[in-house]
Amino acid sequence: MVPAAPSIRERQAGPLVWAAIIAATCLLLAALQKLLWLTVPFLLALVLYYLLQPAVLALVYRGMRRERAAGIVMVGFLGGLLLASLLLLPQFGARLIDWQATLLRYLEGGYGLLERSLHALEANWSVFAKARLAETAATRLADLSGSLTSHLEPFVLGAAAWAPALLLTPFLAFFFLRDGRIFLKFLVHAVPNAFFERTLELLAEIDRTARAYFQGLLLLTLLDTLTLGCGLWLLGFPGALFLGLICAVLAWLPYVGSILGGLLVVLVAATDFPQSPEMAWWAIALFVVARMLDDFVYMPMTIGKSLRMHPLLTVVMIFIGGAVAGVTGLMLVLPVLGVVMVIGQTLGQLLTDPRLMARHRQARRLRRRRAESDLVA
Amino acid sequence: MKLFAKEKLTPEQEQLARISLFSLLSPVEIGIVDGMLHRRDYQAGEIVFDEGEEGQAIYFILAGEVVLGHQGQGEVGRIVTIGPGDFFGDMALLDNLPRAAQARASQPARLLAFFREDYLGLMDTHARIASKIALQLARAMAKRLRQLQVDGH
Repeated sequence: MVPAAPSIRERQAGPLVWAAIIAATCLLLAALQKLLWLTVPFLLALVLYYLLQPAVLALVYRGMRRERAAGIVMVGFLGGLLLASLLLLPQFGARLIDWQATLLRYLEGGYGLLERSLHALEANWSVFAKARLAETAATRLADLSGSLTSHLEPFVLGAAAWAPALLLTPFLAFFFLRDGRIFLKFLVHAVPNAFFERTLELLAEIDRTARAYFQGLLLLTLLDTLTLGCGLWLLGFPGALFLGLICAVLAWLPYVGSILGGLLVVLVAATDFPQSPEMAWWAIALFVVARMLDDFVYMPMTIGKSLRMHPLLTVVMIFIGGAVAGVTGLMLVLPVLGVVMVIGQTLGQLLTDPRLMARHRQARRLRRRRAESDLVA
Repeated sequence: MKLFAKEKLTPEQEQLARISLFSLLSPVEIGIVDGMLHRRDYQAGEIVFDEGEEGQAIYFILAGEVVLGHQGQGEVGRIVTIGPGDFFGDMALLDNLPRAAQARASQPARLLAFFREDYLGLMDTHARIASKIALQLARAMAKRLRQLQVDGH
């Protein structure tokens, strides 16, 4: 008996294929950055799709038509979201109005904490005193804070400009839920017979990767929110759960997000507890513990090895993603690389498999011969 | 308006319901499985899969004929010729082992392919459908085993 061909997971790509995978990932990231108004709703719609799909399947199994099940689940989700917004909006509305003043207050709080810490260092270490650490930092920060608001305002206004595109999210998610399988069948129908089974395998692998990633990401966010929220609540932080949620969402940015979340909590600690500098250190300690829990417990439990990438490649690609497409690149680089990797490896296998190519050529010959069979010369 | 209305089968789904592997399924369940099947057309002489290839799908014949045989052995290696209503490549639903024979359309054929991942997904989301299919598959295999015993004697 002839031995079986290796499955997609077992297939090893050569250096040329890897170069193509990395190049394609960079190009895609650059393109996605240009289409940010569409990329963000599309990604959110994918998250929503994987979140709501089990509910749709449950209704379909009970005999409901897929179209109707998708509609009911989506309306139910949007209704719940509207209800939650109506309940929470009064609490946060007032804070949103004076966001600029609030932001500057927290930045000043952080600046005060830094200044006090540096002065304490100078008092205890002559090396730092000679280097005039506090003075140098103060000058640099003064230069930076002058330009901060001028940089921040266009960013916020820019974000607000494409925010209406977020309204696309439920529409896209609804059509993914309703017609996703039709689209998949349509896509597979276009594939020649010789490559049919391998293509099915490829699409299943992409679906598995995306599902594991997005569902894992949501679970990870929930676990992070609960851990940080409980920790911050025990420390006595105001709005601990909300703060925990912001930090958990920031952690979607690999590596950089955790640092930003930590900085945010330190700023809150320095501003809301100006008389207790130790609070900032407790917050940092909490973040270190949360980070370790994330790396060693939560991540393996949730996202785990869904993307099956080498750690070195992951880190290098995060830097490349950041360089090519900024924050968008940081966020998207891993899922995009995961998908491109599966496609690249499989295409490499298909196009270099002489038997499959020969079968494809034979099928084309047979089709042509049949089409020409009743033509007279 | 009935939310959970009884499913009415299309002519193609009625053809599907007549395939032995799906004979225990209700109309609703036939509708669910139909959404997972891929229709493929093959020319006479075209290969469906090779011997030794990793099996990813089971095939049902809607029209035409398929010859199962050992690869490269021509007429000598022919095992069986099957037609509409029959299925082949069913071991692919159960394991990752290589295909035991080559499948080739001997006439223009219309096949339905059921991907293994979809079947495994059914076991999670629609366990009842998956178990009905598994029962029919086990019956088909038992029938083949009995036939082998009869042929052996």
